[in-house]
Amino acid sequence: MSKITLGNESIVGSLTPSNKKSYKVTNRIQEGKKPLYAVVFNFLDARFFDVFVTAGGNRITLYNCLGDGAISALQSYADEDKEESFYTVSWACGVNGNPYVAAGGVKGIIRVIDVNTETIHKSLVGHGDSVNEIRTQPLKPQLVITASKDESVRLWNVETGICILIFAGAGGHRYEVLSVDFHPSDIYRFASCGMDTTVKIWSMKEFWTYVEKSFTWTDDPSKFPTKFVQFPVFTASVHTNYVDCNRWFGDFILSKSVDNEILLWEPQLKENSPGEGTSDVLLRYPVPMCDIWFIKFSCDLHLSSVAIGNQDGKIYVWDLKTCPPVLITKLSHNQSKMVIRQTAMSVDGSTILACCEDGTIWRWDVITK
Amino acid sequence: MASEASPSSSATRSEPPKDSPAEERGPASKEVSEVIESLKKKLAADRCISIKKRIDENKKNLFAITQSFMRSSMERGGSCKDGSDLLVKRQRDSPGMKSGIDESNNNRYVEDGPASSGMVQGSSVPVKISLRPIKMPDIKRLSPYTTWVFLDRNQRMTEDQSVVGRRRIYYDQTGGEALICSDSEEEAIDDEEEKRDFLEPEDYIIRMTLEQLGLSDSVLAELANFLSRSTSEIKARHGVLMKEKEVSESGDNQAESSLLNKDMEGALDSFDNLFCRRCLVFDCRLHGCSQDLIFPAEKPAPWCPPVDENLTCGANCYKTLLKSGRFPGYGPIEGKTGTSSDGAGTKTTPTKFSSKLNGRKPKTFPSESASSNEKCALETSDSENGLQQDTNSDKVSSSPKVKGSGRRVGRKRNNNRVAERVPRKTQKRQKKTEASDSDSIASGSCSPSDAKHKDNEDATSSSQKHVKSGNSGKSRKNGTPAEVSNNSVKDDVPVCQSNEVASELDAPGSDESLRKEEFMGETVSRGRLATNKLWRPLEKSLFDKGVEIFGMNSCLIARNLLSGFKSCWEVFQYMTCSENKASFFGGDGLNPDGSSKFDINGNMVNNQVRRRSRFLRRRGKVRRLKYTWKSAAYHSIRKRITEKKDQPCRQFNPCNCKIACGKECPCLLNGTCCEKYCGCPKSCKNRFRGCHCAKSQCRSRQCPCFAADRECDPDVCRNCWVIGGDGSLGVPSQRGDNYECRNMKLLLKQQQRVLLGISDISGWGAFLKNSVSKHEYLGEYTGELISHKEADKRGKIYDRENCSFLFNLNDQFVLDAYRKGDKLKFANHSPEPNCYAKVIMVAGDHRVGIFAKERILAGEELFYDYRYEPDRAPAWAKKPEAPGSKKDENVTPSVGRPKKLA
Repeated sequence: MSKITLGNESIVGSLTPSNKKSYKVTNRIQEGKKPLYAVVFNFLDARFFDVFVTAGGNRITLYNCLGDGAISALQSYADEDKEESFYTVSWACGVNGNPYVAAGGVKGIIRVIDVNTETIHKSLVGHGDSVNEIRTQPLKPQLVITASKDESVRLWNVETGICILIFAGAGGHRYEVLSVDFHPSDIYRFASCGMDTTVKIWSMKEFWTYVEKSFTWTDDPSKFPTKFVQFPVFTASVHTNYVDCNRWFGDFILSKSVDNEILLWEPQLKENSPGEGTSDVLLRYPVPMCDIWFIKFSCDLHLSSVAIGNQDGKIYVWDLKTCPPVLITKLSHNQSKMVIRQTAMSVDGSTILACCEDGTIWRWDVITK
Repeated sequence: MASEASPSSSATRSEPPKDSPAEERGPASKEVSEVIESLKKKLAADRCISIKKRIDENKKNLFAITQSFMRSSMERGGSCKDGSDLLVKRQRDSPGMKSGIDESNNNRYVEDGPASSGMVQGSSVPVKISLRPIKMPDIKRLSPYTTWVFLDRNQRMTEDQSVVGRRRIYYDQTGGEALICSDSEEEAIDDEEEKRDFLEPEDYIIRMTLEQLGLSDSVLAELANFLSRSTSEIKARHGVLMKEKEVSESGDNQAESSLLNKDMEGALDSFDNLFCRRCLVFDCRLHGCSQDLIFPAEKPAPWCPPVDENLTCGANCYKTLLKSGRFPGYGPIEGKTGTSSDGAGTKTTPTKFSSKLNGRKPKTFPSESASSNEKCALETSDSENGLQQDTNSDKVSSSPKVKGSGRRVGRKRNNNRVAERVPRKTQKRQKKTEASDSDSIASGSCSPSDAKHKDNEDATSSSQKHVKSGNSGKSRKNGTPAEVSNNSVKDDVPVCQSNEVASELDAPGSDESLRKEEFMGETVSRGRLATNKLWRPLEKSLFDKGVEIFGMNSCLIARNLLSGFKSCWEVFQYMTCSENKASFFGGDGLNPDGSSKFDINGNMVNNQVRRRSRFLRRRGKVRRLKYTWKSAAYHSIRKRITEKKDQPCRQFNPCNCKIACGKECPCLLNGTCCEKYCGCPKSCKNRFRGCHCAKSQCRSRQCPCFAADRECDPDVCRNCWVIGGDGSLGVPSQRGDNYECRNMKLLLKQQQRVLLGISDISGWGAFLKNSVSKHEYLGEYTGELISHKEADKRGKIYDRENCSFLFNLNDQFVLDAYRKGDKLKFANHSPEPNCYAKVIMVAGDHRVGIFAKERILAGEELFYDYRYEPDRAPAWAKKPEAPGSKKDENVTPSVGRPKKLA
């Protein structure tokens, strides 16, 4: 890692923006005083492509992006326990197509909210410490996966409230898990990364029967035969410090540590010997002033660009379709000075949302020429 | 290019230095660096192109994927009736909040009422939303814990789990940012790369540069500089590359590297490496793979089923074929050499067999002490030994002639073994005892021709002298019949004095040839070769093993070990002729006499070692123990068994002594007893003898096992056993007094049900489900076995978190239940505990048992005294000074993490 070996150089993107697209601020909302840690658009249901959800403090709030830059607040949920601080939120779907929102935070309890009925659908208890990220399986949106400080990753069925699998143990993470993401096409596969500086790729192929079983389970969820998956199929050390966000980009992985850059790398697994392989860093997307942890990036549905905020409240939008990497634009505003914890790109990338440490939500819209 | 400027020694990787030690010939360094530079550029360009290609490919795949996402979300959206959903309704109804900011930075101020949101403009304060939130009812959070994996037995640390040598960044919750938990010196060691493998691009540069400029020292020096390696490395690599190239050009002749061409070592590699002979499972997590192989000095006799002379094992059974008389060639052989285990096998009753075997044992086995480390060699000699015995004992009850041939076979083997031993001996600095051993080996050999035969062999003669003298000594005993038979054989064949072995070989060979001509159509010499060729090394070794297990019973060998490879008849043939052939083919031929091992003995051994070490390397780098440990003064807090600064128990490692352990026995030196896993014979003085308790039920210190903090072992103790199953398989006869050993609870996992719950004190706690009486065994404290060094490192982090599950086990290991363990790890500390822990030796392993200190009622929480060393104990674990201050008060102030949970 320290030295890039000959012939394995990666292409570094230039920080001069191409300005292929430009964005302008169209709205700013103050949700509260508490820092906002997550903002996510709904990609699962075409009716709600404009709806996004934020998490911060003990509140989960749903908004709608209107055409003219306006934002309307739709619903808000607050945990009765003031101690709760939500770190992450994700959209999910019931079997009948009901949109769900799953959120988790410092208490380690995952709240599954049926936003169509405005009720708590399930509260998933099991993590021994705070939950750092929740992601939904896009091909089967009843399945969510959670990354926790308790060094485990868990797979849940939000419909039945069952903890299906626990990914921890001998080959598991050695410290807080900060981020997880499902492989876009391989339904069995996901990647997780965390404070132990590694990115691990896991497979649940052998355990898929349990996943199927979870859908028909009618007994008490606590009686479900939850299985431990102790060994990932691959452990990559492409970073040397905390890895706080990773996303699949096809068969490649985008991941970031606290080194002011996002890496695009290819995990090369050895077919016959599980657990072994190499990682080949292909591209580097520099992001200045981004060396604190828990800053997460986001992509649009088509994965054509990635947006990431930094400590100074600026947003870097990189084109993912080009090689070498091209910076589409850098978004800055003289009043945006706070750490942007997470961004959200709308389905087509025309809107970028940023949620900040000071509890504000910024909306940027693309300028159509 | 940059070559003029760059100084020679301070070469950067990108700018290779120009000046190189002036070689008379060879291209100028400038030229070299230019070539390298251009190659490098080419590589970089290639890399760029390959990245682009891969990205494009990925993009294509992605397009399809995201398209399908889009479709499925469209479907999801379309499937629901519009308007019926609450969220849709909300979407429609809720008023929009217009921006507080526009491009000109004239921010508008928006404020909402409590129920509805409107907007006011004109301030830099952003829009505030206020929607009456829906309450989520409070759910009590769990006490924090780290996900842990249940272990019902201890486990050695997985190799990549070490924090030793790995940087760990610890995030201090209270103090703010991250701390790097490693010593600077360690990172320096991390930088040291041991033997980097050559990467493809480096190969490319080497190949191309040397191709263009030719092989010369200056070029090599340039390359070495550029790749920051040594010239010799580069040179060696170049050689390898050229060879590879040749191979690839000459086409692939490696196609036939199938399993069958492996030798026994290769085939057994995974077995030897992965099978734990102590736990009798593959991939044992406790003792790990690649353990030292310990072969017991005492082996069971070959299995010999009752034989029915007329029972054949199939169409190809040698009995059938012999009877049918289709092979006249075999008639004389049978008569003369009496090889047929037909006669021998049938007549030998098991009792005779074993008695004979036992009689020989003391003589032969000590010889095996030869190689305590070379398992490979040892295995061979083992198998030979077995073979030899078999042949000998097989023939016991046969006619003198038969006997003679049997002896002769034995002798041949012996010769070879002796010969084989010689190099080994020199390698391993064997003692004189060895030489005398070889006497006993040679006990079977006796004829004068033996000596001649040996003279022809070019092995070192020192030990052969012994053998010879041994022979002459022994020949008084067994000489006559053997000589007779030898002569009888010689009479039949053209004897060649100088190469007697060959001549002996010819005897069956020529006979064989009759047969060969009949149904194989081969000539004498070719036929002989063919028989050899037909037996692949693996098959030969399998045959060896077969003889070891079944004796000279070709039916059983063929059926159990060589099914699919060889028929009984073939095995029989091989058996009979290989006996005669003995050592003829030396290296490439006959495994049964071990000569192949002998010939390439040195290589063989080296191979073995290399294979092992490669295995180790692949399995992880953790075993690098190079590293200095400066901060050893600091010890993390660990639980202990006793308060005294007593010596910890010693970790037991089985010894490989082949004779009764002497002063050099590693067990003895280490201060442990020999166990049943040691190689030494049962008579070893250093063995723990177990107990003979009859009435005490092994529950008091009267029982030697109990007194020594050991559990009874059914294999060792006289009266302690386990009755399993329904008794249909036979139960050892009861001694009348309802004796039942009570000192095997860990072994049998006879533990109490322990429940995990929220502690009354703090964090999690362990509770007992059923009431137990005093001194009852409750369960085992299991965890990862880690080294003390590792424990110190881990402990540093655990101590920061004030949450340690470390438990001192013995002088070598610490138990860490942090990530793996059982529920008893949650039992809290108390200075007035109701339980106690005890390290007990169970079947060679130290384990921690938790026992009731007093009567404990159902549902009570379990506490035991962690017995931290007084100067290192955390505040809450210190013994209360004043009698008034209770443990609880010490504990409760700790916030967040369950401090005393450990």
